[in-house]
Amino acid sequence: MPHKLPDPQYVKENYQYMTLSKELEENIYIFQVLLKGNNDMVFRQISIGDKKVKAFLVYVDGMVDKLLITRNILEPIMIETRKLNKIIYTNDQLFNYINEYFITTSEVNVKDKIGDIIDDLLSGETILLIDGVEKALIISTKGWEGRNIAESTTESYVRGPKEAFVETLRINTSMLRRRIKHPDFVIENMKIGKYSKTDVSIAYIKSIAEDKVVQEVKKRLKKVQIDGVIDSGYLEEFIEDNPFSPFPQIAHSEKPDRVSAEILEGKVAILVDGSPFVLTVPAIFVQFFQAGEDYYERYFLSSALRVLRIIAMLTALLFPSIYIAETTFHQEMIPTQLAISVAAQREGVPFPALLEALFMEVTFEILREAGIRLPMQVGQAVSIVGGLVIGQAAVQAGLVSPAMVIVVALTGIASFAIPAFNIAITFRLLRFIIMIAAGTLGFFGIIMVVMMILAHMASLESFGVPYLAPMAPSKTQELSDVLIRIPWWAKILRPRTIQRKNIVRQEDTRG
Amino acid sequence: MKRFIILILTIAILLTGCWDKREINQLAFVQGLGIERGKDDMIHLIVEILKPGLLTAGGGGTGGTGGGSAAGKPYAVFQASGVDFAKAFANLNDELPRSLFMQYNEIIFLDEKFARSGIYQTLDFMTRNPEFRRTAYILVVTGGSIQELFNLPSSNELERYPYKEVMGLISNQANTASSYVSDLNEFIETLEIPKKAPITGRLVIVKKDGKATGIRLSGSAVFDNDKLIGFLEEQDTKAVATLMNKLKRSTLTLDKGLKGEKAHISLVVTKARTQISPKIKDGDISFDIKVNVEAYLNEQETKYELTEPENLEKLQTMVSKKIKTAIEHALFILQKKYNADVVGFVDILHKRNPALWKEVEKDWDKIYPDVKFNVAVKSVIKRSGLSSKPIHPR
Repeated sequence: MPHKLPDPQYVKENYQYMTLSKELEENIYIFQVLLKGNNDMVFRQISIGDKKVKAFLVYVDGMVDKLLITRNILEPIMIETRKLNKIIYTNDQLFNYINEYFITTSEVNVKDKIGDIIDDLLSGETILLIDGVEKALIISTKGWEGRNIAESTTESYVRGPKEAFVETLRINTSMLRRRIKHPDFVIENMKIGKYSKTDVSIAYIKSIAEDKVVQEVKKRLKKVQIDGVIDSGYLEEFIEDNPFSPFPQIAHSEKPDRVSAEILEGKVAILVDGSPFVLTVPAIFVQFFQAGEDYYERYFLSSALRVLRIIAMLTALLFPSIYIAETTFHQEMIPTQLAISVAAQREGVPFPALLEALFMEVTFEILREAGIRLPMQVGQAVSIVGGLVIGQAAVQAGLVSPAMVIVVALTGIASFAIPAFNIAITFRLLRFIIMIAAGTLGFFGIIMVVMMILAHMASLESFGVPYLAPMAPSKTQELSDVLIRIPWWAKILRPRTIQRKNIVRQEDTRG
Repeated sequence: MKRFIILILTIAILLTGCWDKREINQLAFVQGLGIERGKDDMIHLIVEILKPGLLTAGGGGTGGTGGGSAAGKPYAVFQASGVDFAKAFANLNDELPRSLFMQYNEIIFLDEKFARSGIYQTLDFMTRNPEFRRTAYILVVTGGSIQELFNLPSSNELERYPYKEVMGLISNQANTASSYVSDLNEFIETLEIPKKAPITGRLVIVKKDGKATGIRLSGSAVFDNDKLIGFLEEQDTKAVATLMNKLKRSTLTLDKGLKGEKAHISLVVTKARTQISPKIKDGDISFDIKVNVEAYLNEQETKYELTEPENLEKLQTMVSKKIKTAIEHALFILQKKYNADVVGFVDILHKRNPALWKEVEKDWDKIYPDVKFNVAVKSVIKRSGLSSKPIHPR
């Protein structure tokens, strides 16, 4: 066949804009040029029908369900089509026949742009090309081995749904859909990443979520031009309002129950294929102190726990600094007996309180960091050695005072009590700045840095919502879900800081 | 440019810090500051400085490292003198390896001789200096020197150092009202009210064979302006505290039974409210003093049934009478002996009748000793303790 095949270089550069040709040879050629050398690519040439029309099947091994291909594609078109008995036809008719009568999978699309076809192929679809037809059948055969839905490891509840998101986008969207069965619940798709072509879904409830926020999310996502999106964390950095702030302005969760609850409040969820962490926007500061469990446990206890978490937050942020400031500048503020005992403990310590504290805190952070990433078996060794470093041995060696050990230990434990890991890290970081301020300026320094932090927080916004809302700007009514949590039957309205479109959550049924 | 300015500002802030930085283990904790006037008319400062290491080692612990179990006193006494308080204080600082830390000192001991010579300068220094607590108690030490007080043998003490012992006495005194201890704030406030006389606690050093063996808070010291002029007995102090509405709890013992026989009945006064109102008649000033007392029975030698209304009423009148006598006695001492308006009648007059006060204020010293007081006491006995009936031994 003297048909002239296009130049390989030309194909590589322009395949996005090319359409399929009538010649099967040429189509095969183009696919081979583009995908040559990939040994997970399967090219299968077959003949269809009594006329033995040439056809071509392409799929990626490992991303498809092979049983499905054999049973629902190959078997019908190779065996059943023989019985067509010459009634036909053109190849186009054959193509339609196959599409309509023979292929028995649930989803089949027809496309002719090579770029689209390649994208689908690489996402696990099977492509069927037939000689003489300028179109391809995209047969949905996605099926790969993924992690099973398991209990969450990062957000565990005592009471509440246990399942967590997995790495497969479709499973994740299904978990949300299962919880919100309303036609207004929309899951929109887009692809981000020049090379990774990652599927990203935006999920929200049309009748609740603020349109502006949805538009803004789409706009910001569309602007992302990175080569690949491996985790939702990539996107978080691209779309957050103030990229230079230490505070997280987008929340993430591994739990479908939590994300769907936030969607019900009018937030927008961003799901990324390959990441079990789902982003939700807009985010406000207080929500990082709210565990999902707060809403499942009885409200009295939840409210008490929230207060406790605030105390833990303040401890994690300020306790070492207060210790430093009081022992080096404001000794008169310590109760006499305690001051004497601290003074006695510090008698042999060679370092000033600030250095002592920094030394211990850094040691603790190293220990924590080491503990997180170590394999379980080695982890035990870390805790033993760590116990020695932060503990009796350090005291006996005269490096630190026992009081400092208590301060550091308490601070460490307190920072674990903050439910959101990302904001806990922020406080860990800020703690050091405040400690240095406390060591040089005393309480004055602490207050100064805290004021600066507060001013910064007040200036932050997340998708149009002030970060400190509903405390500043203050909305008195909405404080009912900040420090405390009012019972479910009393939550008549949705939080108006997030959206104002549809604020009634329920009828008042308990008066 | 903007970043550069921020950098400079940050450095400036960080470098200006630290100037008043003191590590807690470099401080000399003063607990107990004594002021004496020496024979040379110099001011002597005596301070009790704690040794934290010894204090927390635990009384007679298991030795620890080296040093032997000498188990010395957990404090050291330092002394310095100077022409005035400030100079003496500076001299004291020169003698110490650590910087003096006064913030924990809550008692200022005044030697009797020093107190009699006037304490204004000292008070002035203390109120100007932020290191001194305005809530520090003032005590006048009698019966021995402050040195003796600070070196009290520890075998006679419950606490580990004399300061704590005194501190305990002061807080305990709230239960008995046998002394009236004012703090620096109250003392200065009283000084600022014209013609009102401050009082504060009196600490007696108990001696045996010329050696100090114990201490006792007993009665109070009366000042005229900033000079000590004399002391009030315990009973009078209680009466004065009642008049000043400062009595929280006290004991009261009657030495007669209900029928006049010789017997002791003890009561605990739990509440005393006093209302004082000035009365002017023909230019003569007198004061109506109404005292309402609540008490409960603590102990009786007799076997009266106090559930009987008659008995109860009788007892109440006896208590009222006793208190009335005590108050009148205290007022007599203050008027005739010291001519000191401790209760602050002049202040009450000021508040109730400013016009008259203006006239008499200057001559109050002359008017006060002859002012008449009409004391009326009403007492209520609320409870008779746990048992309503007395025990009847067979």
